[in-house]
Amino acid sequence: MSAVLAALGRGTLAAARAAGQSALVLGRTLRAAPRMNRRELLRAFGHFGWESLGICLWVAVVIGVMVVVQSGLYANRFGARMALGWASGFAVTWEFGPLLLGVVLAARVGARNAAELAVLKAGGQLEGLSGISLDPYPVLLAPRWVAITASTGMLASVTLLVAVCMEVVSAWASLGVPPRVFTGSMADALGWQDVLGGTTKALFFGAAVATVSTAVGLRASGGARGVGLAAASAVVRSSFAIFGLDLLLTPVLAAGLSR
Amino acid sequence: MIPGPFTTAVRTAQAVARRGLSARDCLEQVHDQGNRTVALVVTALSFFGAVMVTIAYAQARKITGNLATVGPPYLELLVRDFGPLTCALLAAARCGAASAAELSAMAVNEQVEALELCNGDPYSDLVAPRFVGALVAVPLLCILGTSAAAVSAALTARYVFLTDGMAFLDPRFIDGWDLLSGGLKALLAAAWIPLAASSRGLAARGGSAAVGEATTDGVVVACVGSIVLVAAVGLLFQLLGV
Amino acid sequence: MRMDCERVGVLHGPARALAEVSLSLAPGEHVLLCGPAGSGKTTLLKVLAGLLRPTSGAVRWDGEDVAHLDEAGRRRRQASLGMVFQTDALFDSRTVLENVLLPLHNRGVGREEARARAEAALEAVGLLQAARMRPEALSGGMRKRAGIARALVVAPEVLFADDPLAGQDPATARALCELLDRQAAGRTLVVSSPEPPPVLTIQRWWVVDGGRLVHDGPPAPALIGVEEGT
Repeated sequence: MSAVLAALGRGTLAAARAAGQSALVLGRTLRAAPRMNRRELLRAFGHFGWESLGICLWVAVVIGVMVVVQSGLYANRFGARMALGWASGFAVTWEFGPLLLGVVLAARVGARNAAELAVLKAGGQLEGLSGISLDPYPVLLAPRWVAITASTGMLASVTLLVAVCMEVVSAWASLGVPPRVFTGSMADALGWQDVLGGTTKALFFGAAVATVSTAVGLRASGGARGVGLAAASAVVRSSFAIFGLDLLLTPVLAAGLSR
Repeated sequence: MIPGPFTTAVRTAQAVARRGLSARDCLEQVHDQGNRTVALVVTALSFFGAVMVTIAYAQARKITGNLATVGPPYLELLVRDFGPLTCALLAAARCGAASAAELSAMAVNEQVEALELCNGDPYSDLVAPRFVGALVAVPLLCILGTSAAAVSAALTARYVFLTDGMAFLDPRFIDGWDLLSGGLKALLAAAWIPLAASSRGLAARGGSAAVGEATTDGVVVACVGSIVLVAAVGLLFQLLGV
Repeated sequence: MRMDCERVGVLHGPARALAEVSLSLAPGEHVLLCGPAGSGKTTLLKVLAGLLRPTSGAVRWDGEDVAHLDEAGRRRRQASLGMVFQTDALFDSRTVLENVLLPLHNRGVGREEARARAEAALEAVGLLQAARMRPEALSGGMRKRAGIARALVVAPEVLFADDPLAGQDPATARALCELLDRQAAGRTLVVSSPEPPPVLTIQRWWVVDGGRLVHDGPPAPALIGVEEGT
């Protein structure tokens, strides 16, 4: 019993410490953001945003097909194909799309950011920056944060759009629902609020990935194994942050946008 | 010039045939890739399970009026498609990132060459344990994650939407083919993830940017490959009509 | 072991790391490999050690072309080579002692004997007290000495040391040189360094610049802009 309590306590302390570190990173980043290095910003947009487009399109295809197959279960069994478009669009823009995209970007972008920072830290380069009285936040960290967050928002809108298109195609190919019927039922029931809601969620997820992976990378220690662990724990912690945010954001956004 | 996952598989098999395999390293990898990914997979799948039920509820209100009727087909979908795919993606993200980052950091720091001069072999000493570890861990993760999604769906239906939650645990639509399809997907992804991540990791040359690049590359190839393999098995079963 | 390079060239992507390098290394020779940063010193050492395949030309060990050796043959010969890497290349998930034990275990040396030899090697570099520590807890000089112990524990015929003095303070550099000098007796030694190290007794210099071998012969400090006697 006491062992369980001790483990619980350790876990809570570790979570609190991680949250505190992330909050610290977030605060410093936001304070440094106005002075950030523009060249590094462009480079980060390329690495984290543009180069992630490919995997986002793959994810869009998966989301689209999977949601239609799932919705098709009801539609086929209960004979309400007309509503299929609405249901699928809703699932993609509100829940499934942003969540899956967030987790994949946690892997694609968060792991890279954490691994790079971990190697820079292990090699003493981060201390080197401070040594020549350069603050790493405006030079290195803030541009990455801004690029990751903004890219996620932009990638989300593209991904959600492609996912919806994929749904139209796969509903037509696998269930025989004509595209006109599908899009018609989607257009009737979904508004700009739904797309805005999903993209806003993704924007928050991006900020979470950027903050958590930076905090994890800065705290890495101990050579190759440390780098590997930093990359992995960036994925895991970013994912947890995303799930937590999703729980908070869904009711807030739903209430705010439906008004 | 970069050896791909298939070349890596061949070289690993050759090296293991020549030099054998360390049980200790394999166990360590089962722990690294399995135990350390359990929390992520179980949380994520519980979450996704609850989300799916919420969406289903919204649909049920519009279409059938009864959430419980979609329970059994939902469980079938979960076991056959949704569970293996999501678990494989998460495992590819977490384990792929870890393997690619660690191996690329080793390659960049000359440790892979040092290993060769220590009469070791990167394929049998580094890649093979990761392969065995994933082959054990990923299917187990899929089983755990799928169960978590089913249970969380049942609980959400019962306590949030106040309907018959047990319907989401009703296996009446699940047959041997569903289990075979799900299991095959999990195994193929389990074999692919370590090979993809290791081949990218070992090929890294340069400094911190190379480690970052190899990590991303490893994750992307592991994720996309898993998606393609899962889709291919799904398509195969669809064509077979089972 | 006798080593020969014949018109060896190495391309790193589009960049040329080595071009048309021909040289030979007789058993027991002590050589200093000199040249500015990025001149191809590390590449040349790795080519000689069989860790890097030349893009053109041939490397021969005792007259046998390395490219034509099968896996087992290459490994058998590599077993008599030791290398101290520029980045130390210690395995950071293992302790110092385990790092030094690794090459012995991989050669099938028995547990007792391996332990005795590893401890002797650590003793020789003055690291026996740090045997149970992990590499990340060591200072730069200690890490370098751990790397030297790992290279020496298999009693190699040929020892390569890639820029062992980089980033070391003068006192540590001197101590490392004395250590290398003591251990080099009776074996072939190739040390790379951007400038001539103190203490080390060297009969022969190779000077590389821009991937080309520009000097192969007796010490020629003037070639790299160092005054004789400093």
